[in-house]
Amino acid sequence: MKPGFRQSMAWLHTWSGLLVGWVLFAVFLTGTAAYLRPEISLWMRPELEVTRPGPDIAPRLMEAMARIAPGSQSWTIGMPTARDPVARVFWRDPQAPNRRGFRDAALHPVTGEVLTARATRGGEFFYRFHFDLHYMSPIVARWIVSVCAMFMLVAIISGIVTHRRIFADFFTFRPGKGQRSWLDGHAVAAVLALPYHLMITYTGLVTLMFLTMPWGAQLAYKGDRAAMNADIFGNAPVTRPAGRPAPLVEIGPLVEEAARRWEGGSVGRIAVQNPGDARATIQLVRQDSERISFNPQSLLFDGTTGVLISATGEAALPAAETRGVMYGLHVGRFAGPLLRGLFLLSGLAGSVMVATGCVLWAVRTRQQAEKRGRVGFGTRLVEHLNIAAIAGLPVAMATFFWANRLLPAQMEGRAEWEIHLFFAAWGLCLLHPLLRSGRRAWVEQLGLGALLFALLPLLNFAITRRHLGVTLAEGDWIRAGFDLGLLALGAALGAVALLVAQHGRTRPGTRCRAAAPLATAEAAE
Amino acid sequence: MRLPPWTGVLSRSIAAILGGYLLASLVAACCALGLALPRAEAVMTGAMLAFAIHAGAVVYVFAVRSAWRAWAGLALPAALLGGLLWLLQSGGAA
Amino acid sequence: MLGLALPYAGFTALCLAMERHHEQVLGRRQIPPGLRLVLRLAGWLLLLTSPLPCLALAGWGGGSVLWCGMLTAAALLLTLLLAYVPRLAAGLALVLPTLGLLLAS
Repeated sequence: MKPGFRQSMAWLHTWSGLLVGWVLFAVFLTGTAAYLRPEISLWMRPELEVTRPGPDIAPRLMEAMARIAPGSQSWTIGMPTARDPVARVFWRDPQAPNRRGFRDAALHPVTGEVLTARATRGGEFFYRFHFDLHYMSPIVARWIVSVCAMFMLVAIISGIVTHRRIFADFFTFRPGKGQRSWLDGHAVAAVLALPYHLMITYTGLVTLMFLTMPWGAQLAYKGDRAAMNADIFGNAPVTRPAGRPAPLVEIGPLVEEAARRWEGGSVGRIAVQNPGDARATIQLVRQDSERISFNPQSLLFDGTTGVLISATGEAALPAAETRGVMYGLHVGRFAGPLLRGLFLLSGLAGSVMVATGCVLWAVRTRQQAEKRGRVGFGTRLVEHLNIAAIAGLPVAMATFFWANRLLPAQMEGRAEWEIHLFFAAWGLCLLHPLLRSGRRAWVEQLGLGALLFALLPLLNFAITRRHLGVTLAEGDWIRAGFDLGLLALGAALGAVALLVAQHGRTRPGTRCRAAAPLATAEAAE
Repeated sequence: MRLPPWTGVLSRSIAAILGGYLLASLVAACCALGLALPRAEAVMTGAMLAFAIHAGAVVYVFAVRSAWRAWAGLALPAALLGGLLWLLQSGGAA
Repeated sequence: MLGLALPYAGFTALCLAMERHHEQVLGRRQIPPGLRLVLRLAGWLLLLTSPLPCLALAGWGGGSVLWCGMLTAAALLLTLLLAYVPRLAAGLALVLPTLGLLLAS
């Protein structure tokens, strides 16, 4: 290969990575947190008991819906699972103040009673943030995230080309050597989890493809959205109520029929249209944790006779299946505890890759600038944004959890204020480096993040009934594990803060300059 | 007269981002109309393929020796695909 | 367990066949050519067998994803240990598969 090619790829890698690095870091880290969406949601609602779902819970939940939403046009019931042990339901109510005419509730997994818990977005917030951002239209946000993901894909490809010694440096990490260590760390986090990085970036683009790449669909369907939705997503067409009352069929036999057709698979969601009407329909959707592919398998029944109307997703065609598998791999809901742990690890490796990449740029540019004797505005801007984006985000995430514990449970607009405080903390982290020199700002923000995370389990001892003493004794592994995870996160951030602080004391400047040449220079050899 | 180097970078960036997107869209559109598959299948194949095309186009644009060549390298396949798309559309209408 | 142990041992053998890491662990830069060949072969063989426990556990689809994850985890673990406690890194390559076999049997 010509050296010129590698050099231009090094240039492309640097700039495509740097320009969107901060957004990518936020997307990567909150997206990684989203693997724990149900766990976070449960932890953030300490009021909820963890109970095993009862054996014939579906009829109970249907009765409960008839009680709490009698006149509604549609109900959706999310069945309780081991990870999220309450039933989450929502129903259409034109009088509902928000959520586009929907109300929601959590139901007890055995009795079907309505549970009360503090208002919070829980893990849903991180999940939404990682592609919808916040304080802006979701469409704009998804375009921004998609463009950043495209930059990421380009950065990954050009990075592979640039990295001349993938196999020779496969296991190489040399700590404590300034820029050389940053480069090693960047390469290790990138290369060792490379299949994951490529997968998550490409599948991420594919999840939003009907927004960002709509041209084929538009030409082929000529704007007929209903036909497209039915073709591609298998959405049941909306039926109008007949206006004649008729009782709903028993749900139990339908659930059994579903289990038979799905060879032991279980129902994840029940969607009822026009309950109590002669034209009622009941749709059973399979639990999405049971298959890699995200193409939902579902059965549509007549709601009064129980006759099967149609079944979708039983034999998906190749392209639909490919998309389903890509989607499923991206959201990782099929992953059991072990694989979820590996996804988390890889997600963190991705965050580290982006972070070290941004830091590497700043370290390298500062060295070059110091040689010339003048540090430019661009360098200082990047250094500043690195601190706020990389060290500030953990602080903001920890603040979100603190707000969840400290805001009064009955407060008006509580769930929104948790989010406002998340952004307020992040904003302060953006201002803080103005007052502090670079390294001190890093140490202080990382240290603050470490403290905030590590103290959360202690806060639980002080103000909730669900602290480690109780959760461990009761075998509430979700909450106990989450608390222990917070401690580990605090310890890890603290260790990084200490390393940065120590490194500052030994003044590595001379060593850095003696270190091996830069990636670009290497490429030019 | 030689243009300053930043114009080359700017020109390539536009070619990579907009030109690459256009090329990818054309591929997606041609697949959607031209592949002998059920409609939904063809549409999805095209859209999923498009991101790889875009990434490849970006790499190509920054790899070739001059910005002119980069533009030419995008324009040629884009013109061919555009022609194909026109044929497919008029063929579909007939 | 075996799913992690096999790629870990495989990667360790491969990395001991590289001069830089050989020196890190054993303090010698020279690797006898015969030993290098044995290490390489053993490493690749271990890596080739490493998908088996994952596939047995989770089937073709889930198993291949699991295997990729395991490769990543094993390589990350090895790289970090190698940087800070190289002796332990090599020792673990013997301990982990033994443990894995014991647990599997």
